[in-house]
Amino acid sequence: MAIVNVTVNGQKIQAQPGQTVLQAAREAGVFIPTLCDHPAVTPFGGCRMCLVEIEKQRNLQPACTYPVTEGMVVSTDTPRVTEARKFVLELLFSERVHYCMYCAMSGSEENTQCELQRLGYRYGLTHWQFPPQTAKRWPVDASRKYFFMDHSRCILCRRCIRACDEIVANHTLGVRERGSRTMVIADDDVPFGESTCVSCGTCLQVCPTGALIDRRSAYMGGECDLTHTRTTCMACPVGCGIDALTRGNQLVRVNGDWDAANGGLLCIHGRFETVEPQPARVTAPMLRKAGELAEVSWDAAMTAIAGRLRVAGPVAGLASPRATIEELSVFRALFAGPLASDQVGLIYGEMPPALGKSAGLADLKDADLIVVVNGRPLDDQKVVGYVVRRTAEAGAKLIVVSDEPTTLDPYSQQCFGLTDLCKVDAEVTAARFPVVLYANGLPASVYGDLRSLSPKTRFMPLYQGINTAGAAKIGLGERPVKGNALFVLAADEIPNGHSLPEAGFTVVQAAYRTKWTDVADVVLPAQTWAEKHGHVVNIEGRELPVVACVQPPAGVQADTVTLAALAERMGQGAKSNV
Amino acid sequence: MSEKITVASDWMCGCAGCHMSLLDIDERIVPLVQHVTLTSTPITDLKHPSKDGVTVGILEGGVNNSSNEEVAKMFRERAKILIALGDCAVFGGVPTMRNTCGIQEALRRAYVESESTVNGQIPQHEDIAVMQDTRAVDQVVPVDIYLPGCPPSADAIWYVLTELLAGRMPELKGKYLDWH
Repeated sequence: MAIVNVTVNGQKIQAQPGQTVLQAAREAGVFIPTLCDHPAVTPFGGCRMCLVEIEKQRNLQPACTYPVTEGMVVSTDTPRVTEARKFVLELLFSERVHYCMYCAMSGSEENTQCELQRLGYRYGLTHWQFPPQTAKRWPVDASRKYFFMDHSRCILCRRCIRACDEIVANHTLGVRERGSRTMVIADDDVPFGESTCVSCGTCLQVCPTGALIDRRSAYMGGECDLTHTRTTCMACPVGCGIDALTRGNQLVRVNGDWDAANGGLLCIHGRFETVEPQPARVTAPMLRKAGELAEVSWDAAMTAIAGRLRVAGPVAGLASPRATIEELSVFRALFAGPLASDQVGLIYGEMPPALGKSAGLADLKDADLIVVVNGRPLDDQKVVGYVVRRTAEAGAKLIVVSDEPTTLDPYSQQCFGLTDLCKVDAEVTAARFPVVLYANGLPASVYGDLRSLSPKTRFMPLYQGINTAGAAKIGLGERPVKGNALFVLAADEIPNGHSLPEAGFTVVQAAYRTKWTDVADVVLPAQTWAEKHGHVVNIEGRELPVVACVQPPAGVQADTVTLAALAERMGQGAKSNV
Repeated sequence: MSEKITVASDWMCGCAGCHMSLLDIDERIVPLVQHVTLTSTPITDLKHPSKDGVTVGILEGGVNNSSNEEVAKMFRERAKILIALGDCAVFGGVPTMRNTCGIQEALRRAYVESESTVNGQIPQHEDIAVMQDTRAVDQVVPVDIYLPGCPPSADAIWYVLTELLAGRMPELKGKYLDWH
């Protein structure tokens, strides 16, 4: 491809055709300040912070929208540019009420989470030339559960609107009126909480100021106070890359990882619900005495479990798909070895059969045909649903095959029932890059038909349970189990309709006190997703790291250590019997 | 040292926090008073700069009533160099939140509706200053040096004073510029 030669501040750089001045300058390590620009959305040229001087241009030009041309000479740091940018900042500060001292995002130049304030410092604004109208009341919309909008902090950069349109394809946000009366609104100017907003929080993540504020992490610390940990979201099998923000051993906020396959995108479960208060923790082993669970020592609990399991007869095992591969492996070994039982499986999480080449999120974005067979990705694997919708809007053909209406139907070109599945054949053959998403529980003939589609087809299974695919890899799947005693590896699962089978003696290894621990005879502590290291396999078939971002409470050890200790205890028993 | 430089300070619609931060220069107050005479401050016997004038006037807090307005004008008249100290003096600060509801509603909330008040009433007397919407100092009189911060750090205050003593106009950047 041709190279475009550009001079930036006297430095000769080689840019790609079609790049903007901003992109070319950034690649060459030249800083140009921006506010409305965000790498994940289309350039907009609204804030004028990135004004630069371009030779042969009468006026200063916005670098974020100006394409590079051969021989272009750009200056990003002249007195004229600095003066203009300062003036832009003065105007931005004069428009609404940007009183930093009571804004959650405010801080020193290193600590601030506000891009407007950081630029104010950078350009040495000690005061405002044009004081804002302090008496004017700007609305605050707090109708959403997890984050609110304070219009007084809004600079109308429209990052939120573009994120809602381009990243989530939800099209909730827009503006009303023009000029200084412009307001960001939801739908037809209804409260955000009553709008079509799905609370994925992408707008919150891209907001450069304190206009969108996360309720839970507001005033919980600035950039220097927070620790970032890149790990994997454990809310659903999509396994999005997240940036977990912690302070003082507390999870404060979850952001989407821009560099992961999900490209910064998360859903309400991953971004907000995981940070919400959870049920009471199990912090010590507990033994049921006279109907009540009472805390006991590890030794007493292990002795009780080993003693009962040895005499109980067949022992069944159930694991949550929230457990990591490492945990599931030790769990499996416990049953294969000391417990000598084949009655072991997942509490829930059925994997549909593999049909061919697997598709990742990146493949979904490249697809020109997406066929969804009986799945509900917009409800159950939301980020996949958003990406499907986005790709369909970008021009890919979307076909929904289902006997029931689904939430994706309005975005599809064709919807039909399973009996008409054969219609898909020709479409797939004609497509350049077809991707088929399919659910479990379908008749074997349907899977057979899908398997016989053109070999260029890529497949993505739709199922429940974050590590269901990881469990399947080591031979664990959803199944009924039978035994006189039951051992449950519950991890940090909060049961949602799944009851445990009855058994004469039940051990539950769980992070939280739930209806499962209520029926247990012995309860062992477990770590939460935020406390453990390990791996899970996601919907794309990729093995992803789970990285601890907080320390577990005192007395809570790794689940693998607990399981290994139990295995050893059982093994000793076996030996002593010989 | 020939003649000491005269400095006066006062607080208006602020919380006295900026003056606390001024005291946070700690032992540096000793060399400071070797070069500077503090003619009047809110915590000394003399409350107002003399009519002969001072070299430097320091004002903390915004202007939110007729009394503040008088103080601001007096300082402008009597000080060669006027410093707006802290976010309230520079921007109007936290008290500007009151402007959104208006003076009457603010008074009613404070004196009548507050949870700890029984049979409260809004004080009214001819000697009481007349309330105004809260403004930054420079919306009332011109300001020469802006030192924002909530409060500005002792180091920033020390930097401004020592620069002035050295005969330079301080340029606030980097660690000295912090509105937080």
